[in-house]
Amino acid sequence: MFDLLPDRLPWFVGGPILGLLIVGLFVLANQPLGASGAYVQTTGFLRRRDGVVIWRVWYFVGMFLGGLLVTQVLRSGSEIRTGYDALTNVFPLAVVVPMVFGGATLLGYGAALAGGCTSGHGMCGTAQRSPASLAVTATFMTTAIITTFVLRILTGGDL
Amino acid sequence: MKLNLIGLAFGVMFGGVLAASNLHEYDTIHAMLRLDEIDVFLFMASAIAVSAPLLWLLERRGMNTPFGGQLKLSRSMPEAHHLKGGALFGVGWAIAGTCPAPALVMVSSGAVLGLVALPGIFLGLHLRERQAMHDLHVGDGEHRHNQISV
Repeated sequence: MFDLLPDRLPWFVGGPILGLLIVGLFVLANQPLGASGAYVQTTGFLRRRDGVVIWRVWYFVGMFLGGLLVTQVLRSGSEIRTGYDALTNVFPLAVVVPMVFGGATLLGYGAALAGGCTSGHGMCGTAQRSPASLAVTATFMTTAIITTFVLRILTGGDL
Repeated sequence: MKLNLIGLAFGVMFGGVLAASNLHEYDTIHAMLRLDEIDVFLFMASAIAVSAPLLWLLERRGMNTPFGGQLKLSRSMPEAHHLKGGALFGVGWAIAGTCPAPALVMVSSGAVLGLVALPGIFLGLHLRERQAMHDLHVGDGEHRHNQISV
């Protein structure tokens, strides 16, 4: 709408801001700035389970709204699109859709099994110097890079 | 009530930073994992470089948080489920090119296939949670026992 943030924020601005957000949530609530736990709490909320951590549901909504604010209000040109250009250039949509769904299911299952994701373990956990988080982060970085290279070889370098 | 507002505010800021850094784009994550671009690694490293020393200092000073008691960082030792979960997460992350927080921003940015990724993540988390209902593994990420509820 306004195009106040047309370009990608450089890493040396975005990274430290995120670092301060991590510290901020620990300082206020002694809690990690993760994401997968918020999904679990939101599921519990939607299914009306007991013991739901309700602020995590607000936090879940907030992540969506924060994305909306930046991409639709502060930045122009985020029109409706697939969001997977590199993938749709290589595969037909009939392959891309199950790939994205399957990959997402796998990462969700893995995050629950590991007890966190890129934010929970990868950033908040390593910032706490947790050996478990360091192990999780090293593991997922390794398998993700290997998987990317396998996909690249399988597609003859197209992906 | 106040905690809900804090949750909402931190969610907005977190989602906003991810969006401003284009981390919700498949292409950004893909370029990172192809090792074509170092920016996301530097993004993560600088976030940790800022937060780790501050957290260390605040914990050492025995900081009392207004909503969560005394600041206590987690330092669990790695177990088999961490490695298995991390390995599966990495494969899924590389295929889907997104992870839980960026997937939400993907949807709000107008990327239609985010609507495919999002239910996939919910399903995957649910499958594991259901399997482990009685023996919930808690890690140092966020699935912790000391989740505070209001």
